[in-house]
Amino acid sequence: MNKVFTDGLSFALPLLIMAVGALYSEKSGVTNLAIEGFQGVGAFFGALAATLLAPLMGNGNQMIIYIAILCAAVGGALFSCIHGLLCIRFRANQVISGVVINILSVALTAFFTSAANTAINGTASNKFVLDVSARFSIPLLSQIPWIGGLFTNMYPFEIIIIVLVIILWYLLNRTRFGMRLRACGENPQAVDAAGANVIRIRWAAVMISGALSGIGGICFAYSLIGNFSPSIYQGFGYLAIAAMIFGNWSIGPTTLACLVFGLAKSGGLQLCIAAGLPSNYTDLFLMLPYVLTLLLLVFFSKKNHPPKAAGEPWDKSKR
Amino acid sequence: MKKKNIFLARRLTGRYASLWVSVIAILLTIVTASILLLIMGKNPLTAFASFLQGCGFLAKENYGGGSGQLTDMLDFLNYLTPLILASLAFITAFKAGLFNIGISGQMLLAGFTATVLVGYNKALSPFIAKPLVLLIGLIVGGLTGVLVGYLKYRFNIHEVVSTIMINYIISYLTGFFINNYHVDMMTRNSKVCTPEARLTLTNVMIGDMKCKIPLGLIIAILIALLVSFLFRKTVLGFEIKAVGQNRRCSEYSGIRVSRTILISMGLSGAIAGLAGVAYYLGYTNTIIPKSLPSMGYDSISVALLGSGSPIGSIFAAAVVSVFQQGSNYMSSSLGVAKEIASLITGILLLFASCGNYMKYLAGRTMQQTSEIASQGSSRTAPASPESKEAKTK
Repeated sequence: MNKVFTDGLSFALPLLIMAVGALYSEKSGVTNLAIEGFQGVGAFFGALAATLLAPLMGNGNQMIIYIAILCAAVGGALFSCIHGLLCIRFRANQVISGVVINILSVALTAFFTSAANTAINGTASNKFVLDVSARFSIPLLSQIPWIGGLFTNMYPFEIIIIVLVIILWYLLNRTRFGMRLRACGENPQAVDAAGANVIRIRWAAVMISGALSGIGGICFAYSLIGNFSPSIYQGFGYLAIAAMIFGNWSIGPTTLACLVFGLAKSGGLQLCIAAGLPSNYTDLFLMLPYVLTLLLLVFFSKKNHPPKAAGEPWDKSKR
Repeated sequence: MKKKNIFLARRLTGRYASLWVSVIAILLTIVTASILLLIMGKNPLTAFASFLQGCGFLAKENYGGGSGQLTDMLDFLNYLTPLILASLAFITAFKAGLFNIGISGQMLLAGFTATVLVGYNKALSPFIAKPLVLLIGLIVGGLTGVLVGYLKYRFNIHEVVSTIMINYIISYLTGFFINNYHVDMMTRNSKVCTPEARLTLTNVMIGDMKCKIPLGLIIAILIALLVSFLFRKTVLGFEIKAVGQNRRCSEYSGIRVSRTILISMGLSGAIAGLAGVAYYLGYTNTIIPKSLPSMGYDSISVALLGSGSPIGSIFAAAVVSVFQQGSNYMSSSLGVAKEIASLITGILLLFASCGNYMKYLAGRTMQQTSEIASQGSSRTAPASPESKEAKTK
């Protein structure tokens, strides 16, 4: 039972930071299906930094993880400029742009991973091996019956993500920048009339979303997968988008949605083990989060209020 | 410089604008790929030549026994067949404003069902088995497409999200059945299907060369003509296009939008199903469990490159296939990682998606030149930053 909570949380939080990234972009009026690509490229930059630093700082040095997270955020933000360029500057169709970026990112990371591996250690392997992050338990809270599992064996990045999400909530809902950002997604003409720069705000939102997705990606690479390889593209980005839709473009409900996904995934796996089924059956249980997403979307999509101007390129001369 | 600029702008606003966008996208991609290859210290010319050699367009230096240029050419056509079908599937949904990202999943499910139901049945004669395979592909793919369409109009679920979810569900589900019931212990893939059911004739001797003949290519071209006919000449095709351009307007003018969405998604799925059987019971004859064919995503770049035209997509598919199919030979002869093929496809996609912006810039340049012309030639044209951009794009 404890394991369900522990694993569930360590899956839900990286998903959440990606969902918040998607939310920032969509709230500013740029439809963002490119989360999947952002997180992969972000994780690539993080893993590359970790691989380069590991011989310098000594293997197993936990500082590397924090540097990798930082690099992933920067890399994700840089890569998201392509989305910004296509959607904001070139007025391309935003859904197409998202799909294009996802395809491009898979190819880019696969190509450059083998190129980098050839340059570093001479083998054309398509993955970077990473250490698994250290874990810790919060002393008193982990003793609580039933929900104690939420506080045992935590990864350090989980704390970082929780703090970040609180800051991001404040930024979006309580500051002038956040209000303008939300207004850009509803009525950009009004923002322009009020004297703010719609283009600049949208660029900022897209780059924030790239940085956050990058953090989510490297966290998955460090916890769930344990290396960086093409298996980072398992549809987590799309799950995050589904969580955002299910959470009705609002950070609080989105957090809940992510927790539901995380617990469904870990619960399914533990159920499979508890029932004593052979390992072949795990495939059926791995399917669970996706089936659950579809079912939940069936029930919750009807009443949704997506940002009104999402998907429309900003045209100053339009009324 | 200025003159050349206007030359391009005129092409991009003229009758064959879409064709020119594709040509420019391909040229830009070749330039970008050449720069990439130069950085890696390879000669771009030899690289592109070896892409063509790998597909049988140019002769290789030496061939193994029983193979020749024709073998490579037919292998290339064998790969091309499902790609044409997959891109037609994308186009059919795209015209209705729907993004069918689920082509991979629809291909996999159709291929899996056809393999299990017909491919493992040794009693059937080829004349029954082959049409049956096609029929199963149509039905299974079509039903999956209809499900997505239903989720879209009834529950307002964005088709991109729902198709991705369905992709993963199909991938895990078929992976489970293959691993448990149909696995070949040696290769860890599914067992091979019978040659009677396979849509590609293998080991045909032409002269002294062993060749594969893709029967599906005829079907692919036939479907391309049918889709073209559908959108040019029929009421249904017109309605689908109208829904794609403006959903609310078509609703006011009496088009049943929900029905149109269902039909176009169903058609798209059905064609994707055909692509699936052409891939899994033609190009390959086994299924790798838990892996979605990357062709489903390549089809999007093909459709964009062909700017949504069914006939254009045949040629666009050929361009993409050259890179994908030729990458094996290129990688072995030059020592560049095979992944560069996907990278080139991705870059191609990036440039093709800027097509509308190219047209927009060209339109503006034309407008400016006509304004300048009407103002009289005494005043020199202002060197506006926009016209410079039009050149670089």
